[in-house]
Amino acid sequence: MNIGRFLASSITIAEMEARKIRHDSTELWTRIIQPALWLLVFGETLNTIRAMPSGNFSYIQFITPGILAQSVLFISIFYGITVVWEKDVGILTKLLSTPSPRSSIVLGKSLAAGLRGVFQAIMIFALALIIGVQIRFDLLDIAGVFAVVILFAMCFSSFSMFLASYLKTRDRMMGIGQALTMPLFFASNAIYPISVMPVWLQYISKGNPLSYVVDAIRSMLLTGTYRNLPVDILVLVIATVVFVILASTTIKKLLE
Amino acid sequence: MTTDVFVNSDSDNLSMPEKTAIEADRLTKVYRDNIRAVDGISFSVKQGEIFGLLGPNGAGKTTTIKMIITLTKATSGTLHVLGIDVFKSPETVREMLGYVPQSISVDTDLTAYENLLIFSKLSYVNKTERSERIRDALEYMDLSSRANDLVKRYSGGMMRRLEIAQALVNRPKILLLDEPSIGLDPSSKKQVWQNIKQLNQEFGVTILITTHDMNEADELCDRIAIMSEGKIAILGTPEELKRNVGGDIVTVNLASTPPTMSLPKEIGSIILNNEKSIQILTTDGEEAIPLIADFFRSHEIRVESISINKANLDDVFMKYAKRRLEDDMYKTTRRTRRDFVRRAR
Repeated sequence: MNIGRFLASSITIAEMEARKIRHDSTELWTRIIQPALWLLVFGETLNTIRAMPSGNFSYIQFITPGILAQSVLFISIFYGITVVWEKDVGILTKLLSTPSPRSSIVLGKSLAAGLRGVFQAIMIFALALIIGVQIRFDLLDIAGVFAVVILFAMCFSSFSMFLASYLKTRDRMMGIGQALTMPLFFASNAIYPISVMPVWLQYISKGNPLSYVVDAIRSMLLTGTYRNLPVDILVLVIATVVFVILASTTIKKLLE
Repeated sequence: MTTDVFVNSDSDNLSMPEKTAIEADRLTKVYRDNIRAVDGISFSVKQGEIFGLLGPNGAGKTTTIKMIITLTKATSGTLHVLGIDVFKSPETVREMLGYVPQSISVDTDLTAYENLLIFSKLSYVNKTERSERIRDALEYMDLSSRANDLVKRYSGGMMRRLEIAQALVNRPKILLLDEPSIGLDPSSKKQVWQNIKQLNQEFGVTILITTHDMNEADELCDRIAIMSEGKIAILGTPEELKRNVGGDIVTVNLASTPPTMSLPKEIGSIILNNEKSIQILTTDGEEAIPLIADFFRSHEIRVESISINKANLDDVFMKYAKRRLEDDMYKTTRRTRRDFVRRAR
């Protein structure tokens, strides 16, 4: 396989999505409602009663990275539905009939998920600024957060496309998406620290990729201590590569 | 002069025998549950011709096309496109082919221009030629004036033309069209036919089409393979096939249900016996009519009317596949309509 062609095709697939978003960006804007509610209602409320041991930070500071990670998770876990939809309307058939390698379609789609994730991150930063959440606005840290968000979106969107290759219908993908997102969210350190969890849940949380993402974002936006960062990013990179490769080999099953 | 000699001596185009566009040998596709969608078919498509796969839905036409465009793998058999093994070098083969699938597959959330742009990039059209080719394709399919409109505002005929335009940007040597006129109104259908013929005549593009519409096959194809239940029932030019049926069909409409009977050999043979009409296959319809009239009069059966149908591809199909295409078409349109309703709910 020609690497240059592979990358060019991947970028073209992402460009295709970007152009669609440019024609109609309603979805992007509605995606901000849910994280806004988490921060404004849930965050503000628990902030005032000080029920959570959030360390040196206010509770709303503590959950901002968690809510960012959660909203990126929600975007990417439903990417499989997009692919199933594109199969149903014939677009996938057309894409697979081009000389572009199959893996570039998966990588391109996951890059597009990353793009949506970056937009989401910008919106949450803006929201944090407006309601006065103190986060470190250091240029390198912000760039680091974007990188983690892109990797995370790529990881879970390709995981979702991998699932879609086997589940094949939109209804099933809706079901599995719902069944996955909430457990992942609640079994992570997104809205409470791992230390307050019961012991069994702490173990699960250690195996939950969302915990590593939240940890990475939190270290860049709040603490500024990067001790865990290499491990967090390594876990994320490995998971992303594995899922992109898996989804590339299975996506053809969607047409069968 | 010297360069000409050099080119001639070195050219493999002129000295080598012409390659076959598509060559299938005992091609078979067995799906799970042991359904033999394509059952050991062999055919070859010559360069520069329009070749048709004609048959009802479920005959294996689309599966055949999907194997050529490498969307599905054959269970056994071999398949070559311009001499290249399809199963060994799928990406090279896809680069030489243009493909228009049966269902609309352009992206309706993009403009026509964007659809062509994305597709030309995915087909690795040279950057310097890209905009010119897109402009040409749009102009050729008569879509230039609406190039920057979102495709969701297009009519069905325009979408179909855009699909063909899309298949043209990589200047394919062979174009695969799966049911190109399905769901189009008569005038859009005519326009698409016109485009297909022009592509073939002006640019020498080899075209493989599948269709269940015998008029379409008759109108467009140089050669036709009639498929039924995964097999090729017969292959030839439309004229050869029609001649093969052995003559004209005389339909006799009767006033009442006739008793079972057999016709004398010199008149012809009964091929269809409905309640009040009988279809008779004759070598020459005009000569047979007086004989038929006499026959029924002598049996005291009242005849209401007699008509001749010159042999058409439908008759050919019936002779080889033992059923009418129209019956299948009726069933499938009803089925698609039901599917559609189900999906809309």
